[in-house]
Amino acid sequence: MKRINLLPGVSDSYRGVSRREALRRAASAGALISLSPLAGFGVSSAEAAEEALGKFPKHPQWKFTFVNHVTTNPFFVPTRYGAEDACALLGCSYQWTGSEKSIATDMVNALNTAVSAGVDGIAVCLVDLAAFNDPVEKALKAGIPVVSYNADAKGNKRLCYIGQDLFQSGKGLGERIVELVPEGEVVGFIATPGQLNIQPRLDGAKAAIKESGKNITLNEIASGAALNDEVSAVEAYYAGHPNIKGMFAVDAGSTAAVAKAMAGHELQKKGVHAGGFDLLPTTLEAISKGDLDFTIDQQPYLQGFYTVMVLFLYKISGGLTGPSDIDTGLSFLTKANVEPFLKTQSRYEGNSSEEKVLKRSGAI
Amino acid sequence: MSKEVLRTEHVAKSFGAVSALEDVSIRLNRGEVLGLLGDNGAGKSTLMKILTGFHKPSSGKLFFEGQETELKSVSHARSLGIEPVYQDLALVNGLNVYHNMFLQREIMYGGMFRILNDGAMRERARKQLKEMGVHIPSVDVEIAKLSGGQRQAIAVARSVYANAKVLLLDEPTAAMGVKESTMILDLVRRLKEKGEVSIIIVAHNYAQIFDFCDRINLLQNGKITFDQRTKDTSVEQLTSLVVNEYRAARENIGRS
Amino acid sequence: MAKDIADSLPQPQDQPRRGERRGLLRRILRSLVHFREASIAGAGILLVICFQVTAPAFLSPGNIANLAGYAATTAIIAAGEVLVLICGEVDLSVGQVYALSPFVMFYAHQAGIPYVPAILLGLIVASVVGFINGLLTVVLRIPSFIATLGTFYLINGFTLTISGGFPVQPPAVAIITNTFGGNWVSQILWAIGIALVFQFVLRKTRWGLHTIATGGNLLGASEVGVKVGFIKVGNFILCSVLGGLAGTLDAFRIGSIDPLAGGSEIMFMAIASAVIGGTLLTGGSGTIIGAFFGAIVLGVLKDGFTLLGISAYLFDMILGGAILITMLINVRLSLIRAVGGGQ
Repeated sequence: MKRINLLPGVSDSYRGVSRREALRRAASAGALISLSPLAGFGVSSAEAAEEALGKFPKHPQWKFTFVNHVTTNPFFVPTRYGAEDACALLGCSYQWTGSEKSIATDMVNALNTAVSAGVDGIAVCLVDLAAFNDPVEKALKAGIPVVSYNADAKGNKRLCYIGQDLFQSGKGLGERIVELVPEGEVVGFIATPGQLNIQPRLDGAKAAIKESGKNITLNEIASGAALNDEVSAVEAYYAGHPNIKGMFAVDAGSTAAVAKAMAGHELQKKGVHAGGFDLLPTTLEAISKGDLDFTIDQQPYLQGFYTVMVLFLYKISGGLTGPSDIDTGLSFLTKANVEPFLKTQSRYEGNSSEEKVLKRSGAI
Repeated sequence: MSKEVLRTEHVAKSFGAVSALEDVSIRLNRGEVLGLLGDNGAGKSTLMKILTGFHKPSSGKLFFEGQETELKSVSHARSLGIEPVYQDLALVNGLNVYHNMFLQREIMYGGMFRILNDGAMRERARKQLKEMGVHIPSVDVEIAKLSGGQRQAIAVARSVYANAKVLLLDEPTAAMGVKESTMILDLVRRLKEKGEVSIIIVAHNYAQIFDFCDRINLLQNGKITFDQRTKDTSVEQLTSLVVNEYRAARENIGRS
Repeated sequence: MAKDIADSLPQPQDQPRRGERRGLLRRILRSLVHFREASIAGAGILLVICFQVTAPAFLSPGNIANLAGYAATTAIIAAGEVLVLICGEVDLSVGQVYALSPFVMFYAHQAGIPYVPAILLGLIVASVVGFINGLLTVVLRIPSFIATLGTFYLINGFTLTISGGFPVQPPAVAIITNTFGGNWVSQILWAIGIALVFQFVLRKTRWGLHTIATGGNLLGASEVGVKVGFIKVGNFILCSVLGGLAGTLDAFRIGSIDPLAGGSEIMFMAIASAVIGGTLLTGGSGTIIGAFFGAIVLGVLKDGFTLLGISAYLFDMILGGAILITMLINVRLSLIRAVGGGQ
């Protein structure tokens, strides 16, 4: 058996094989390999499984597509668990797709493909003001219900929005800033300015600060979409502005970066205040240690769970009921109530995939 | 019109601190074949590159057809009719025979449009190679698939048919076996017999070129140390000159 | 030796009397090996068949429009990258010019310049970036990988700065939008048109011939008198302009001009399309039609797997595997071609 030489130009083994034979070999190998997509590689079965769960009647296994802007971001891991749990409960399935780096073109492509695939429902993060309007309309025209989650855009024809009221959460942030900082300069870090899932928070904060009438200036700084970049951005900013009175952030990564900077330079001792959004481990630890004053939880698990419920109800009721804007909440986590989050690892926080019942602790 | 077609007067060339040529005066007459011999590092390639317009001499003069000339570029030299055949052949592997033969001199459709006229180039290439007695099975073949001798032949053919007045061959048989060397040297002999081209041929193997060169120049350490008609000298005389050079060099090393 | 050369020529049909069908099949198989574009086109057709079998919605008109979305602009950028790759260089910044050009068009239009000249202005700015890439590589002798990596960051930062990081909307005038990529027919026509034009340039014009010569034997080509520096700079300019055009088309397609658009992802996809399509990373050889089919193959893979419902994590693994397998088949076929065939 001749050894296959993979270096072009040194094709001795092929000189020994007639051209016809070599062609035949390549063709059969190619055919075998190319047929592998048919073997299924973890593809969900195209046949509908009829399920009857709880008191609901039998129905096909409906398929919902979640189009996300940062598919591999850890923030959305609880969202996926929520979607998964709801699907198991209701006999449906979901697909998680979109863009890894907030690229609108990729998300639009994924949405359009879902429409062509004839899925039963679509959930999309509307991170761009205009890009999704036509695709969503096309989906609705094709008879597919579309809802938005985590981020919403005015003027889009989606049936409802499941997520945090972004502007209100920003106002909440602003009000907290006003409570903590009497006056002076504070900085607000935002991963990707202009993106509709986080920009409204910063706008809300600015509005609340203005309403309070206090002499506080909020500087907007972009920190980048990747966690490592965000840490560097915060550090660099602090190095250039050592007299800052407060460091705040409007997304998970920037908040964790702020937490690191506060801890690293022991800024709380110097009277600097800080806070942000979401529950990355670094953030929670910083709150427990006192380096961060607060963080705001938008309950990402619910953004997956309720979304599936809404789409399921729409399908099973033939469109009569289901869609309704759902505010997944705006709860402040401070040193007083952060302990349970630190002590547990659960699907709801995304750091464990185990299905278990959690015991409540602390005051309600 | 004078008999001379190419002449250099006291040409020198340095690259930074390195002096490649010190004082070179050579002369090529019309229809002549001049053999340029010398050891590695003597400066033969540098001299050839000056004659083709690739390098400018640091000092000295160049005369083409009796007129003092400054070769501004390779294209300029070629426009005068001075054609090199380089050691590395300047052939492009990804292209076929006729594209290589007509590179930089392509035949194109209607002036403005610059679209390649492959048909015309194919025909001409076939014709030219046939006239020169070079046997290539097809001008559509990629040049990488041909033997060294065939590639050399194509490089020579390219130059000849660029209406060369002076052909500069730099070690044409350097990497070749006997059979292929013979093919090339026969080609050069045929060109000499036609009498239309004047040739300078740089070589190592004296015996090879001795019989068809009209004159021999020996380049040693950047200077011409020997300039004779071939019938006035012999292979033995040349060899002894070179051996003496070696002896002198060895003594120098021993002394220093 | 003579025998080798004789073998390398297309063989005459032996036994022409026996069975026309056999001769036809052999000719088809032979063309697959002889023309490198045929092998990638063949892989593409095979994939389309596979996906159509497993997901009947694949060849529905709606999904063909999606395919255009996945593949068309990548194919346009790939055409430019092929030219640069043939020269023996690479352009990493093309994804950033993709984001910059539509912004320039937007601000020009805001300043009062009418639509089409504004678009052209965006392309002119793209050509300036290409010119810079060329100068850095040819005159300053910075290896093109580094030079274009530098412009990658430079242009990215520049785009973010002039836009303040905020996305904007392109003008929504029907005729402009429809001509410049607003619908999938327009996208496909642009992609096919550019592929044909540039393949013609590569094979049938002096520019293309000199590009191949520059990449195949830089020293030799310059010795013969080919203006290699000029060729390289020119191809960098072409690549950037095509990148800017692709970005403009996509901006009209999705109705949003985003500073985050493009980036490294689409640049890698374009280079991958070129290489899968038969262009050598080492330079000296390439095909734009091949890159076009390469882009289609990548688009088919992405669209097909999304259509089948594969989720993000698994998706990347499968896409990576499929690219490797497609490339493996291509390499095998080209080895056969190198031993046996011509072209």
